Amino acid sequence: MTPFNLKIITPEKTFFNGTTTQLIAKTTTGNVGILHGHVPYVANLVSSPMKIEVQGTLKEAALSGGFIKVAPEEVIIVTNAIEWADEIDVARAERSRQNAEERMKRHESQKEFDRAEKKLKRALNRLMVASKK
Amino acid sequence: MATANMKDVKRRIKSVESTKQITKAMQLVATSKMRRAKERAVAVQPFFETLFNAMCDISKDSSFTSVFTAKVEKKKTLMIVIAGDRGLAGGFNVNVLKKAAAKADDLRQKGRAVSIMAIGKKAVEYFSKRDYDVTDKFSEIAEGMSMYGAMDIAEDVAARFKNGEFDSVDLIYTTFVSAMTQEPCEMAILPVENLTSWADTRHASPVYDPSPEEVFEGMIPSYLCGLLYSAIVDSFASEQAARRSAMESASDNADEMIENLSLMYNRARQAQITQELTEISSATLNDNS
Repeated sequence: MTPFNLKIITPEKTFFNGTTTQLIAKTTTGNVGILHGHVPYVANLVSSPMKIEVQGTLKEAALSGGFIKVAPEEVIIVTNAIEWADEIDVARAERSRQNAEERMKRHESQKEFDRAEKKLKRALNRLMVASKK
Repeated sequence: MATANMKDVKRRIKSVESTKQITKAMQLVATSKMRRAKERAVAVQPFFETLFNAMCDISKDSSFTSVFTAKVEKKKTLMIVIAGDRGLAGGFNVNVLKKAAAKADDLRQKGRAVSIMAIGKKAVEYFSKRDYDVTDKFSEIAEGMSMYGAMDIAEDVAARFKNGEFDSVDLIYTTFVSAMTQEPCEMAILPVENLTSWADTRHASPVYDPSPEEVFEGMIPSYLCGLLYSAIVDSFASEQAARRSAMESASDNADEMIENLSLMYNRARQAQITQELTEISSATLNDNS
């Protein structure tokens, strides 16, 4: 398969800058697979496991929201946070899962509840990705 | 007279010395914190630029409209004011708070309602004590600021903007110019303006899934989050830089004081010795005669 350039940018660093042949990510409307020569495309991504081909295998990473921009010369993903499966701090994700669940149980306000729910989704996403490595 | 004076001077030297130790320590801490904050501020740049470019691209789409870019007559403004959590940073807090207060008064004179989101303990205290409508208060968040912390605030602001709670959002914070200068600055962040000025026009319009509006709205919290995060980090770096130079001059002043006091102490000591010698020799003279 023809490789294409991929750049993944987070506020802290450039997480990935290189070539890959295949990328599978989840947008607000569902999963998309990106290969070389995809039409120019922009969509928002949701917190989900994302698969990137690295040296012949599909490597999984936990993505926390963001968006993808497919341009003719490169694909850019901008996200608040992303980690490879083996980089995930499982203890921390577990803690934040418990914390989010407690906050959801208390249900202090809708705003608080929505925030906790998002936090829970991120934590579950990380735990799921970490468990599969 | 000389003995009492010497004791006093000695005590003052000691107290100035211990103050100097504190200011010196604060200076070192501020220096290292400043360096770290600067690194974070630099690291966030590519993230924000890419995001903003993407937003510019969308805004070029012919069918695009969004409540976040609509130009309406501004009536209700939310001012996000970022100051420090602690004092002892020279004019850092005063400068930015004065600028914010002047801006708020100016807007009110134009007949706009102004509400304030205060970030940093000093900002919270300043605006709560005065006659301002402080709708949100965040203390002690700047140092451990994470993307998620900024995201919570950003999503909240975006939702309230969409609900029409306010129709413009201004950001006032201190920007890091150099280690010696930090300047308070203001920025209109919502509605999103000047979008096209950055856009590049090389590509044909891409496919937006599901629609340009929805993709754009999905980016708004990230956009606000990026702005807030970098403003908070920038402000934190400025605070540390201001504290560093304030503490540096405090340590220098302490050095000067110690020097003056030591001189005084030595003079007093010399005077005492001279006096004692005079007393002894005059006593001997008296004995002999």
